[in-house]
Amino acid sequence: MKRLFQKIPRILPVLVLLALFGLLRGPVEDRLREDLVSAKLLTPPPAQGAFEQMGQSALMGTLGGLRSLVATFMTLEAFDHFSTKSWDDLRQSYQIITALEPRDETHWVSVIWHLGINATANMEIDERLPAFERERRFKEYAFQAIEFAERGIEQLPESSAIRIQLAEVYREKLKDDCATSRVYGDVIGLPDAPGYSRRFHGYFMARCPGKEKEAYAYLMALYGEGEQQHLPTLIKEIKNLEEKLGIPGPRRIPDADPDRPQKAPRRPPNLLPGDILVPFTREDLRRIGG
Amino acid sequence: MNADSTAPNPPLRGAARPVPLFSPGRVATIASGTVTQLVRMKTFYFLLAFALVVVAVGNFNLPATPAKELSMIKKVSFGTMDLFAWLFAIVATALLIPRDQEDRTLYTILSKPVRRIEYLLGKLCGVLVVVGVSLVLMYGICATMIGARESLFVSAEIEAMTANGGYSQEEIDEQVGLIRQQGLRPELGLAVLASFLKAAVVAAVTIFLSTFASSSLFTIIVSILIFLIGHAHTMASSFWLHSSDNSLFVQMLVKVVKILIPDFQLYSFSEGIIQGEVVAYALVGQMGLVTAGYLAVFLLLSLLVFVDKEF
Repeated sequence: MKRLFQKIPRILPVLVLLALFGLLRGPVEDRLREDLVSAKLLTPPPAQGAFEQMGQSALMGTLGGLRSLVATFMTLEAFDHFSTKSWDDLRQSYQIITALEPRDETHWVSVIWHLGINATANMEIDERLPAFERERRFKEYAFQAIEFAERGIEQLPESSAIRIQLAEVYREKLKDDCATSRVYGDVIGLPDAPGYSRRFHGYFMARCPGKEKEAYAYLMALYGEGEQQHLPTLIKEIKNLEEKLGIPGPRRIPDADPDRPQKAPRRPPNLLPGDILVPFTREDLRRIGG
Repeated sequence: MNADSTAPNPPLRGAARPVPLFSPGRVATIASGTVTQLVRMKTFYFLLAFALVVVAVGNFNLPATPAKELSMIKKVSFGTMDLFAWLFAIVATALLIPRDQEDRTLYTILSKPVRRIEYLLGKLCGVLVVVGVSLVLMYGICATMIGARESLFVSAEIEAMTANGGYSQEEIDEQVGLIRQQGLRPELGLAVLASFLKAAVVAAVTIFLSTFASSSLFTIIVSILIFLIGHAHTMASSFWLHSSDNSLFVQMLVKVVKILIPDFQLYSFSEGIIQGEVVAYALVGQMGLVTAGYLAVFLLLSLLVFVDKEF
């Protein structure tokens, strides 16, 4: 038996054992991979487009299991592009970063902030470019930020941070109140939704043409929740809508307009200049004297 | 009559004791010898390089939130840790058998009643002990940096929010919670375990290669190639199949690669743990079992080649 074993080329049993083990472990590993991906411990393979855009070193690093290390170094590279205002390079870096780590919310938020706020702000003030080109690039960067946000939301449907950053782009740069209201509306009910998202949804709906009635009903419902909601902006927006919709006086809210200068409260008649309080008034003096 | 002449002659040597088929003691002796051998190669000096990387990353001043900065420190530290672990496992394992052959320690060991499986297992255990100790030390360095930055960030955030005055205690706690989520958590130990399991499989594959390789350089290069293919084949196969319109030849090639080469990408589950995801302990346990399977099979393969190898 030993002699027979010695006669067989050693490569044969090695290959047979290796193949048997490979066939056995294949289905186990496939199932394990699915479980790890659904438990969010393992990141699914990057999109095919990402491979095409990667440089050689990034590709090697990614294939070599250094995916998160590559993503981190590319974040540093993106920061460098931000410092030199190379917005197209920055976008390119984030295309790869978000493909490598699609579940990292901070990457999505950062790229929306960079393109939607920083790049657009740069286009507003960059005197080296003609006005037409600046305007065109302003819109281009803003729309790229929106595109990133949409992809981020697809990857992380529960993310409120991505939506809030997107709302900021609509609010601050595109001045689109209807879209801002819609995005804040989407934030409501999400796990990490900030408390102000409900109010902001209403405030921007109030400024969205054609939505005034809906906004009035929504803001009145918020107002009806109690004193904690009677904030100056809420009152102001309701007052604006009351004017626009011609709400009759008795149905209007009793609060004073926060933007209108408040009348100074009447000084008590027994309070002398210099805030000296005396136990009698001028009337009393006149009466005594008279 | 002389009393001495009637007494039976005592045996000149004690009767030879039967040699047990497998002795954990002999494995432990070889393993401790391997650890000494590796320590004498000044392998722990790479910890200095690691510490430098961690300190450098910990002191980057990026316009990022504290949570993002902590996340970045963690990713770089654990990524470097992982890189050191598998690279060390390959190089150390590839050097051991040729080194033993070169300085003729191998002949001395194998001329004694030491089974070849004990020799291989001892070598592997020695490498794993050094990898394990290195990972624990690297984790210690990394945890110190993360812990220090975390407490710094938390106190700065509380101070800033309190000075502003417009935040309730609940809001401050929520903000601190965000930082703590990216800070030092006990689950990070499992990310270190993932790197250790990956390095163990890499070492087992390398020891198998070194049983028939002609030089250490060959073993190192082939091991690194296998590692890269093992990491990439899941990612690359879909891309390759897509670009070749699902050609039959590519399909077969992908299957052969998948069967013969270990899937190292599975061990990247540490990335999720580092990013603060909830750990599924059952899955980590299953990964441990898969690793045990790899170690057993590759040791058996090594033994098949090594068992009657003439030196």
